[in-house]
Amino acid sequence: MGLQYTLRRVATAIFTIVLIVLLNFLLFRAMPGSPERILLGRMPGVTPEILQQTRERWGLDRPLFPDQFVAYVASTAQGDLGFSYSARGRPVTDVLLQRLGPTLLLFGLGEVFAIVMGLALGAYSGWKRGGVVDYVGNGVSLVLYSTPYFLLGMGLLLVFATGLGWFPTFGMSTAGATYASLVDRLVDYGAHFVLPLATVALGLIGQYAILMRSSVIETLGEDYVTTARAMGFRDGRVLRHHALPNAMLPTVTLVAINLGYVVAGAITVEVVFNWPGLGTLTVDALSSRDYPVLQGVFLLLSVAVVFANLAADLIYGVLDPRVRT
Amino acid sequence: MLQPPRIRAVRSIAVLALVGGLLLPAAAPAAAADPLILRVGTDQKLETLNPWHSVTVADYEVFQLQYDLLVSFGQNLEPSPGFADSWESSDDAMTHTFHIREGMKWSDGEPATCEDARWTYQFVLDVVASETGYVGSGYLEPYLTNTGAKTVTCSDANTLVVETEFPTTLLTQAYVPILPKHIWSKYTQEQIGDAEAEGFFVNEPPVVGSGPYVAVEWEPGQFIRMARNDNYWGKPGAPDEVIFQTFAGSDTMVQALKSGAVDYIRGISADLWDALAGEPDIATVEGFSNGYSYLSWNTKGNSEGYNGSTSALSDVAFRDALGYALDLDKLVDATLAGHGVAGDSQVPPYHAKWYVKPADRRTFDLAEADRRLTAAGYTRNAAGNRVDKDGKEINLRLTWPDSEEEMATNAQFIQGWFKELGITVDAYVTEEGKLLSDLVGPGLDGTADWDFYMWGWVGDPDPMSLLSFFTSFQIDNLNDSFYANPRYDELFELQQRATDEAQRHAYIEEMQEIFYRDSPYHVLYYDNVLDAYRTDKFVGWTNQPPEGGTPIFGYGYPGYLALIDAASVTPEPTAAPTEAPTASEGAATPAPSADGGPASGGDNTTILLLAAVVAIVTVVVIGLLLSRRRGAGPVEDE
Amino acid sequence: MSAPAVPAGTGGAVVARPRRQPGLLRQILSRPDGLAGAVILLAFSVLALVPDILTGPLQTAITATGPRLAPPSGAFPLGTDELGRSMLNLTVHATRISMVIGLLATLVTVLIGAVLGIVSGYVGGRFDALVMRIADFFLVIPTFVLAIILTAIIRDVLGTGSRELFGIRLSLITIVVVIGITSWSSTARIIRSQTLSLKERAFVDRARVVGAGGGHIMRRHILPNVTNLIVANAVLTFAGAILTETTLSFVGLGDPFQPSWGQLLDAARTVGAPGLGAWWYFVPAGVGIVLVVFAFTLLGSALDAILNPKLQSRR
Repeated sequence: MGLQYTLRRVATAIFTIVLIVLLNFLLFRAMPGSPERILLGRMPGVTPEILQQTRERWGLDRPLFPDQFVAYVASTAQGDLGFSYSARGRPVTDVLLQRLGPTLLLFGLGEVFAIVMGLALGAYSGWKRGGVVDYVGNGVSLVLYSTPYFLLGMGLLLVFATGLGWFPTFGMSTAGATYASLVDRLVDYGAHFVLPLATVALGLIGQYAILMRSSVIETLGEDYVTTARAMGFRDGRVLRHHALPNAMLPTVTLVAINLGYVVAGAITVEVVFNWPGLGTLTVDALSSRDYPVLQGVFLLLSVAVVFANLAADLIYGVLDPRVRT
Repeated sequence: MLQPPRIRAVRSIAVLALVGGLLLPAAAPAAAADPLILRVGTDQKLETLNPWHSVTVADYEVFQLQYDLLVSFGQNLEPSPGFADSWESSDDAMTHTFHIREGMKWSDGEPATCEDARWTYQFVLDVVASETGYVGSGYLEPYLTNTGAKTVTCSDANTLVVETEFPTTLLTQAYVPILPKHIWSKYTQEQIGDAEAEGFFVNEPPVVGSGPYVAVEWEPGQFIRMARNDNYWGKPGAPDEVIFQTFAGSDTMVQALKSGAVDYIRGISADLWDALAGEPDIATVEGFSNGYSYLSWNTKGNSEGYNGSTSALSDVAFRDALGYALDLDKLVDATLAGHGVAGDSQVPPYHAKWYVKPADRRTFDLAEADRRLTAAGYTRNAAGNRVDKDGKEINLRLTWPDSEEEMATNAQFIQGWFKELGITVDAYVTEEGKLLSDLVGPGLDGTADWDFYMWGWVGDPDPMSLLSFFTSFQIDNLNDSFYANPRYDELFELQQRATDEAQRHAYIEEMQEIFYRDSPYHVLYYDNVLDAYRTDKFVGWTNQPPEGGTPIFGYGYPGYLALIDAASVTPEPTAAPTEAPTASEGAATPAPSADGGPASGGDNTTILLLAAVVAIVTVVVIGLLLSRRRGAGPVEDE
Repeated sequence: MSAPAVPAGTGGAVVARPRRQPGLLRQILSRPDGLAGAVILLAFSVLALVPDILTGPLQTAITATGPRLAPPSGAFPLGTDELGRSMLNLTVHATRISMVIGLLATLVTVLIGAVLGIVSGYVGGRFDALVMRIADFFLVIPTFVLAIILTAIIRDVLGTGSRELFGIRLSLITIVVVIGITSWSSTARIIRSQTLSLKERAFVDRARVVGAGGGHIMRRHILPNVTNLIVANAVLTFAGAILTETTLSFVGLGDPFQPSWGQLLDAARTVGAPGLGAWWYFVPAGVGIVLVVFAFTLLGSALDAILNPKLQSRR
């Protein structure tokens, strides 16, 4: 029965989220500049009274513990992350949700592409170990792995957008465009999608390829596979039935582990392509000192990654009965 | 401060230029009957549609398109009809009568009357008198309070009477949008002024306004679409719609302009702007800045409660001498690529009517600076370091907000020049929020822990706000240098109440002299605004003001109404490549369209070189792999 | 980096050593990937060590002599930036900055990771549980966003200013600290598991029996036996540190007074170099980053092959 395993994983995830919430609270208080000053900016007519009012409004005049902390936890639990400084009047939650879709779309699809292509490439290289594809593929994988996402994106932009003019260079669609038909709309979105997607996929492919390659090589070394091959089973069958399942476990782990790094990639890729997702939001918030939004991004991304890890753990448990203890 | 410094922040931050540039192949997926759209690119995003909260250039531009001021600004910045058709002041200049246009309607068809104007002005007066004391970002109320406005009444449905406490001519320049009472009076002061209040009034599209265009669609962070207001009282503008598009940086903005994806771009970085010269169908315009970048001194030095590192900071002679160690022309060349004017007065030359060049303007002369420092009692010690009157070596801390990246260049220069004088400058950037806290003096429980720093101000059509930063009333507020001079304060009040222009000029001239002599700031430069626009879709671009202005992003909206559809003027087919009937395919098909073509020689070089680099890397990798193959041979299994 | 030193005498107790290996460095160099990685790194290390000899002192706005954004020429082999500084000079000095930050960040990371890993593994119990919980936490959360936030906070604590540590301005030391804080956890985990297995080995037991204290055992018996692992881990950490520094600078957290490669890329973008066709502004820095990270990756894979017996034994 995997109940105990599941419970332990869930407990760990909850513990992590609690830590994240706590850290988030502390980080916000530790930010440079007094919060009321940041709130007021360089506003004319700031009097000691206004400063005091602002402190009261935000509960900054009360002690950190327990008052401020309790208030913070209570509102966070209700999904109330405060208000964006720069997008006046818009709750942080709204701002985040608006940007979540594009990021999920870009990186979800990017991951899928990378996994499919990476696994295929890795399987082939591993199978034909020492072949041309193996060497070239391995080399390219390593170079891609060594390149920061934004450099990759800048390179693609220079060549395919600025240079060849095949694709538009920014945004998700042509602003304010009216479309004659759904097809036109999709084509417009698609054209904007190609380069960012390619950047994400290329940035991730290497790792999956390397992983799959070593998994295949390892599987090939197992006695039962050698036996199977000796007995004349076709290679495709061996690959599908032995190598691929073997690679699944580490792949699931890698996807989960990657999520944290993908976030860093997301930020720079989105910035390079002006993709209206959480990444550009992060940099905007950073540059306009929109701390509530920055905090919100951190909370949202962290919790998302924790859940993804939890899901990976649980899938892992299903895939590999040994870990269900 | 119509456009306060935070805008500059947003502008320069507005960050992250994309690398490539835009090549939206023929951007407008236009069918024949498509609306005629004026597309404007900025690198600042629209942050709010509630005018009281406006901060960025885009915020101001959008609100002044959809709302009228009581009195607007003409092409020469002269008062021109706005919400009011005509106006007059009593002889004592304390009673001001505004005649509101009859039969005017809001964009939703409701009548627009004196009551709307009265409600708006009364709202400001109530806000200022309330406990909160401000509304939204707090930038608009001073326009009314500066005039001394006391009571606002409607003597009939079309006549607004404003009484002021003292004589003033400034009511015709009050930058307060007249809002539709039937919409706004449904909300409390808190719901209008406090973005975090329950039921905050976002003023979501469709917005009800009286101006020529009103917002109909807003994708925050991306674009705002404004449609022609059919109830607008004046001559309708040529564009059916105006779209403001946010860009991540100059690079993409410029590419978008080249490809015709936008018609006007605002605030381009200098080198890219220079490179636009000579592009077909593109005009560039360099606007004088109604503002400046400055070096501010902590003029209280290390006196009680202040934490400047040396008493020398509070010495006029010290600051004056250092003025000779600033090669402002060099800064203009290096930091602005020449697109600006070396600074002196706190009133920028943009205000041709008020600006007075200092008679005895300092020139860059390190020997003179050295001589003056020594004469003022700041001698060098054995190690060659300058020593203050307390016998302490002078080591100054120079900082600037992280939002103003280009200040780092200025800092490198200043560090170098002051070093020649035996003064060590510790230069570092400070996070903007922290800088704001550090600047605060003891009056607001701050420590004033700084020596000198750089930032910028942007002014109004009237120099009032720019003059006010050096009055002692603004200490603990916008007077960040803590400068106080009774004569300056007195002159400020005198010019505020002067109704005779020549008289006011005399006061303002003296204020400029005092400012320059006492140097609470060294104005580094007046940085020009660099814009560009296409001439093949619209013609009739008119600068406001004609000398040193830009066609749009001025005061009021005359520039938009002056535009003419180019197709109606020049029927030649070459006029409008972006509007070719086949363009609908363009945006959609990611084909190597000819439109995108005009990649400059530089771009091609880039590609070639990049290709070369890629090739080299590939060769290296392949070579490596081959060698590995040889070497790794024995390790192979099978 | 030779074989682990023989732990000095512990009262005459016989100290077990792992299987004798030829020098790690020699092993690395005998592999083509290791050799290539080492050669590339050596080249960049030379640039980083003596930039002044190669291209003169770092040019500033004041000492710049070239025209604005000039393409490569005889006088300026890599062109100039918008202040007329030689890009060759800047890029070479940026190599030093990037490499030093990478090195310091690696040292901090590995130090935190190794100490916590060894102590946690050896001591066990509550302390171990706590450290590993925290490590898991750092492994899970998106550390880059955390790094952005921490940079602002730590700059506030450390102060900025032109004070320097190891020739690096405080604002950049901040980045070193941030990288250390956010990336120690995987090192700690790896070292801990190795420590756990070492702890059960006979030679540790023997040391304990003769009365060696915990600190002594960790220093003299466990540390030498995890050194290879630490080195292997440091190589990967170095690559990661360079990437993190580059990315942080790219989003505007660098220091223009001490440009690193990432800072140069950020400056190039601010000026609009790509749109101006000023490729010489950013291509050298970009190539530098890719080559160095690539070199570390090669070294890492060589080390992995050497230290991971599974791959080697399969012949």
